[in-house]
Amino acid sequence: MFSSPQALVPGLSPLFGALYARPSQGSTVSPALLLEIAETFSPRFEQHRADLVSVDLRGLDRLFGTPQLVGEEMRRVAASRGVQLHVGIATTRTVATVMAIAQPGLSVVPAGGEAAALAPLSLVLLEQIDAYRPSDRVAPTPVSATVAGMVATIKTWGLRTLGELAALPAADLSARTGRMGLFWQQIARGGDARPLVPTRADERFEGTLELEWPIEGLEPLSFVLTRLLEPLSTRLERADRGAAALQVSLRLIDRTVYARRLEIPAPMRDVRALRTLALLDLEAHPPGTGIDSVTVTIDPTPGRILQHTLFTRPHPTPEQLSTLLARLGALMGEGRIGAAVPVDSHRPGAFAMKPFALDHTAGVGRRSSVAGRQKSIVDSPEPGVRSALRRYRQPVAARVAVADGRPVRVTTDRPNWGGGAVTTAVGPWRTSGEWWEGEAFVSRMSVLSSRPSGVDAGAWDRDEWDVALADGGMYRIFQNRVTSQWFVDAVMD
Amino acid sequence: MLVAERPSLTSSVSADRSSSSARPARPARADRAALLATLAAKRLDRTLTTALPPVDPSDALAVGATAVPAFDASLGGFPRGQLSEIVGARSSGRTSLLMQMLAAATARGELAAVVDALDRFDPASALAAGVDLDRVLWIRGQVMSHPAAARDTNQKALEQAVKALSLVLQAGNFGLVAFDVGEAPADALRRLPFTTWLRVQRMVEGQQAVCVLIGAGPMARSAAGLTVNLTIARPADGRLFDGRLFTGLKVEARVIRARAHRHEDVSVRFETKST
Repeated sequence: MFSSPQALVPGLSPLFGALYARPSQGSTVSPALLLEIAETFSPRFEQHRADLVSVDLRGLDRLFGTPQLVGEEMRRVAASRGVQLHVGIATTRTVATVMAIAQPGLSVVPAGGEAAALAPLSLVLLEQIDAYRPSDRVAPTPVSATVAGMVATIKTWGLRTLGELAALPAADLSARTGRMGLFWQQIARGGDARPLVPTRADERFEGTLELEWPIEGLEPLSFVLTRLLEPLSTRLERADRGAAALQVSLRLIDRTVYARRLEIPAPMRDVRALRTLALLDLEAHPPGTGIDSVTVTIDPTPGRILQHTLFTRPHPTPEQLSTLLARLGALMGEGRIGAAVPVDSHRPGAFAMKPFALDHTAGVGRRSSVAGRQKSIVDSPEPGVRSALRRYRQPVAARVAVADGRPVRVTTDRPNWGGGAVTTAVGPWRTSGEWWEGEAFVSRMSVLSSRPSGVDAGAWDRDEWDVALADGGMYRIFQNRVTSQWFVDAVMD
Repeated sequence: MLVAERPSLTSSVSADRSSSSARPARPARADRAALLATLAAKRLDRTLTTALPPVDPSDALAVGATAVPAFDASLGGFPRGQLSEIVGARSSGRTSLLMQMLAAATARGELAAVVDALDRFDPASALAAGVDLDRVLWIRGQVMSHPAAARDTNQKALEQAVKALSLVLQAGNFGLVAFDVGEAPADALRRLPFTTWLRVQRMVEGQQAVCVLIGAGPMARSAAGLTVNLTIARPADGRLFDGRLFTGLKVEARVIRARAHRHEDVSVRFETKST
């Protein structure tokens, strides 16, 4: 898979540089020094061989200016360390590398000019950059062993430059040289055979603190966590990374390791937020004994870029929200906080819960909103205030007097629940569902009335009435048709 | 300055009392009016809480519109950065007004939080009112329904809910925070320390949030910025239902306490429609 220069978007194109230290008169440049120079400019670099390194220069234009200035700065830094470097800069790694090898000094190839830059160069360069292509990763055939022969073959056709090789019809070239020919033609056209694979492994964000004396309880642990997280947060900030997951491993005094892993919903590196999340999790799942050693490991992920606006109210940040949700979860219990979700069911009061999202688009509601400082009016399907219900999640058992098939008096055992004579009653509405679930139907009916509505499944069969009582309240009551028991289901409010 | 002015106030009141012994006693109402006028002249008729600048109802950044046209026309909405109350008996339209406020807040792109102390929130009603449920953080209190255990459990649920309310307000940047204790027993509410509401008021101040308590009666007292009492008017023919359909409520919302004094005794009528 090649990425060609033509596929790159102007302005957003990546920028690569190649540093080539040409051996001269027996003196060679130390590979470590070359890597050190590359690391001065970017953490993403790849060493192809002892004297050739390619560097990802994306973003450096904001620091130095044009690619020309970036290249000059690279050469200046190398010169200050006593190294004479040849630098090639282009939008693909291949072009940058070929130019660094082929031309002395600094060569900057503008976006779109890659083919023209490579066209006059000699085919012999393919042999020189052969080591640049790691054959074990790209092509199953041992291309590097035969590249000299292939170049010789192509030369017998009368071709001398990379431009001529690039201009050959791909189908005919493939018929004569196989995949190897196509591969080198793509190189001649300036395409990259693979993405840059950084030589330096990804930075590991981990910290360990051995405790002189075991600690128990969360309060002393919070200080330990802060001490571990602060340097990790600084390193994350330097690398423009955030924490995707936080793992706290505690070695206990009984020689066991107690580990808790937290998936962080949004990348963050705020020490207080991370510490609070870890502590809240450990509060809910405490270790059994004292702690001998604490290790914190963070899985990094690219940092979050936020664009604030002046025209909408700010939302709580993901850090604030995730901390809030963790605190609320610890206080109220799991499953008691979140966002309600309607479910596809005719069951009265049915709903489901889902985790509250942390990332909301500011200023965009599902309904239309009036911009600016005007008052907003909800654009509901039918304008006006809708009557709402207050649901008794567990229906309240009621005593209902019935005359002529209609409820005439409703009371309950609740001390603060009025009740009284029914002034108006409409109904019944008969609803039932999920009776098709089989033999369990009858047995389940006995517990229907005490089941939290909408949370779980099960059959229901009931007659609903809307009643207005003499105490001023209006209620939705129902009679379980299997047990004939009456319940108050909701208040119209 | 206050210390300097107090003697003159005392002297004027005492002079008034001494003179009253010489001539026929004036009605108590006149005495009160005179005292109030004197306090107003000395600018001593406001407590520290009410001394905050009044809310401009035309400023959308200072008030949160309810999307009830009559309500917004009179009051502009509920003030941001203040503790407000919607009080009333069962079936007085409190929940309908809350749902409308939630719909308006989420339509403006704000996040809302409902601290549902006794777990009475009905998502279907909210959806019918136009609430974007994804933007509403629903915090459900844990309530046992057994009559013998109800009292103590409700108390615990209330205390948990107050803590949850504090956490939400501390997090900040919610557009609307509702604390629903509409079904809570009055004695359980009375057992909450009065300083609870002063503390909540202090947390809300300076925030963009409209913080509203839903209850059967006023709770926050002097900590409240705007207290609206809801009552319903029964239809003359006594018909609340049209055939098999509940027609809705005719709600009268009366301001019984307002930090902005010009809003006191404002009365608004609106109707709810059956879903």
